[in-house]
Amino acid sequence: MSEKILELNNVTMQFGGVKALDSVNFHVNKGEICALIGPNGAGKTTIFNVITGVYKPTSGEINFNGKSLIGLKRNKITARGVARTFQNVRLFGDMTALENVMTATDVHKKSGLVGALFGTPRARREEKAGRARAHELLEFMGIDHRSDQLGRNLPYGDQRRLEIARALGTEPEIVLLDEPAAGFNPAEKVALANTIKKIRDAGYTVLLIEHDMSLIMGISDRVSVLDFGRKIADDIPSVVQNDPKVIEAYLGAPADAS
Amino acid sequence: MVNLRDKGAALWEGWNRPKRVAFVIILIGLVGLLPYGGDFSFTSFLNTPISSYQAVLVYPVGMYVLMALGLNIVVGKSGLLDLGYVAFFAIGGYTAGILGTRTHLNTWEILPIGMGTAMIAGVLLGLPTLRLRGDYLAIVTLGFGEIVRIVALNTQSIGASTGIPSIPTPPKTFGIKFDIVHNTSYFWVVLILILLVIWMIRRFTVRRPGRAWEAIRQDEDVAILMGVPILRYKVWSFSIGAAVGGAAGVIFASKTQYVAPNMFTFNVSVLILSCVVFGGMGNMWGVILGGVLLAYLPERIRFISNARQLVFGIALVLIMNLRPDGLLPRKKREKLGAAKKAGE
Ligand SMILES: Nc1ncnc2c1ncn2[C@@H]1O[C@H](COP(=O)(O)OP(=O)(O)OP(=O)(O)O)[C@@H](O)[C@H]1O
Ligand SMILES: [Mg+2]
Repeated sequence: MSEKILELNNVTMQFGGVKALDSVNFHVNKGEICALIGPNGAGKTTIFNVITGVYKPTSGEINFNGKSLIGLKRNKITARGVARTFQNVRLFGDMTALENVMTATDVHKKSGLVGALFGTPRARREEKAGRARAHELLEFMGIDHRSDQLGRNLPYGDQRRLEIARALGTEPEIVLLDEPAAGFNPAEKVALANTIKKIRDAGYTVLLIEHDMSLIMGISDRVSVLDFGRKIADDIPSVVQNDPKVIEAYLGAPADAS
Repeated sequence: MVNLRDKGAALWEGWNRPKRVAFVIILIGLVGLLPYGGDFSFTSFLNTPISSYQAVLVYPVGMYVLMALGLNIVVGKSGLLDLGYVAFFAIGGYTAGILGTRTHLNTWEILPIGMGTAMIAGVLLGLPTLRLRGDYLAIVTLGFGEIVRIVALNTQSIGASTGIPSIPTPPKTFGIKFDIVHNTSYFWVVLILILLVIWMIRRFTVRRPGRAWEAIRQDEDVAILMGVPILRYKVWSFSIGAAVGGAAGVIFASKTQYVAPNMFTFNVSVLILSCVVFGGMGNMWGVILGGVLLAYLPERIRFISNARQLVFGIALVLIMNLRPDGLLPRKKREKLGAAKKAGE
């Protein structure tokens, strides 16, 4: 049995009358690509939001490497090793691609204002290391040639790639990707699937929200399915694909279909 | 409209190091000689008709530029709308007033104390309030500015409405005299402070603090999710801005030799903020230009007396309509050749 890196126990997230998550039990194993799927409004992004501390769950536990994440500040959660991208790209548009990633690589830096002011050896060293690492990650995502361009001037696809590079910049153990292939053409999707595999092979754990079934089925080690805030399936892709409950969730209840 | 900022930056980037150093030295030299500008016929147009030109260079020009640079760290770099910046100016001024008249400390010894006091006030105000956003922060800081003034107004031991008179001028330093007729000496002090602040801002901007502030300004929710300790960096930004305001206050008090509550009204906060917005929020050079113009021009056109405010107001409105991001807006451009490198 593989080791659980991230675990949600009975997590409920209520927004007024809406239960976006309803007693969800869910986990991600270390080193796998786990996909999270479900119809629109199923609660997928909400899972990312409760994990990363954007929302505090109404009840339930969230453990990362055996330690609770609940109540931690968002930047501390990131520092622990959880990074994410956003469903709607949210780059720092007025910063260059390189600066976007360097902002993330700063998480584990020790030097702050005094170091910056006096250019202490440690500050210089960290600055240099951060820059090198940022270039490395841009290269990894295939966009290093854009390092000096402003985030908002990047073509759409590269903005999505830059978001992944920025997330990796925080040196996470797990990366949460929220629909990274949205708006991509088939060729771009294939390329992205390969990149995600490369990310996993580089030692990161990946939790992926995606609507494109062929992409999901091609690269995931495991698939969890949410519907109306409840988990309705959780297995290897081939099993989930043929699960009647999943098919029903996607195609609508038989009564509706008739 | 021509983009002066980009033209200037392109020119600068085209220069090698010796050329840049020479340029900076010549520029500083010229600015240092500004007080003598009124003495020569070919630069006499600089003279201000009613107030003494050299005095105008210290206050308001130098002081406005210094404070605008300080406020720009808060408003321009980090995106925190501070409407009570005058509070820190006042705290610096009153620190100089109290310590100058009751202890034997001289201005140079008081300067770091004034900055420290303003900085601590910044931290104390910032810690609880910087969690608030946008409009709320603006209102709380506005209130703070007023509270400081009203406390001064109602505290008998610091002179209440009469304030503190007979604040000593700085001692003679390196053979340079400081008193009512030696405005030039003060100008140089303010210039040195401005240069130090510029140096500090440049250091911060290219390193981690600059990135953190920029990220916070653009999208603080994403910034914190990328691991930026946003509260810490906001408090730093706020208190560094406060320290600069405090420094301005100390020098101001030792120049006018007198502080009173009515010198530290909400008007001052608005004026300094105008310098920042008018010049170009977030861009240091724009802010300096804004400070210079907003402080100097009203003095220069004083001869039209009462119509002065009106003319100036109309000019401001017109210019802000033509250039909504200020005279020299913040970086919108990429390094030369960034697009070319990307193959476009
Ligand atoms: N901040 C919020 N306030 C109120 N309701 C919310 C909030 N965030 C999410 N919801 C609701 O929770 C439910 C789940 O939303 P969520 O964004 O997690 O869906 P999703 O599975 O990511 O959908 P999509 O595929 O469209 O991205 C929706 O009904 C949504 O309206
Ligand atoms: Mg979503």
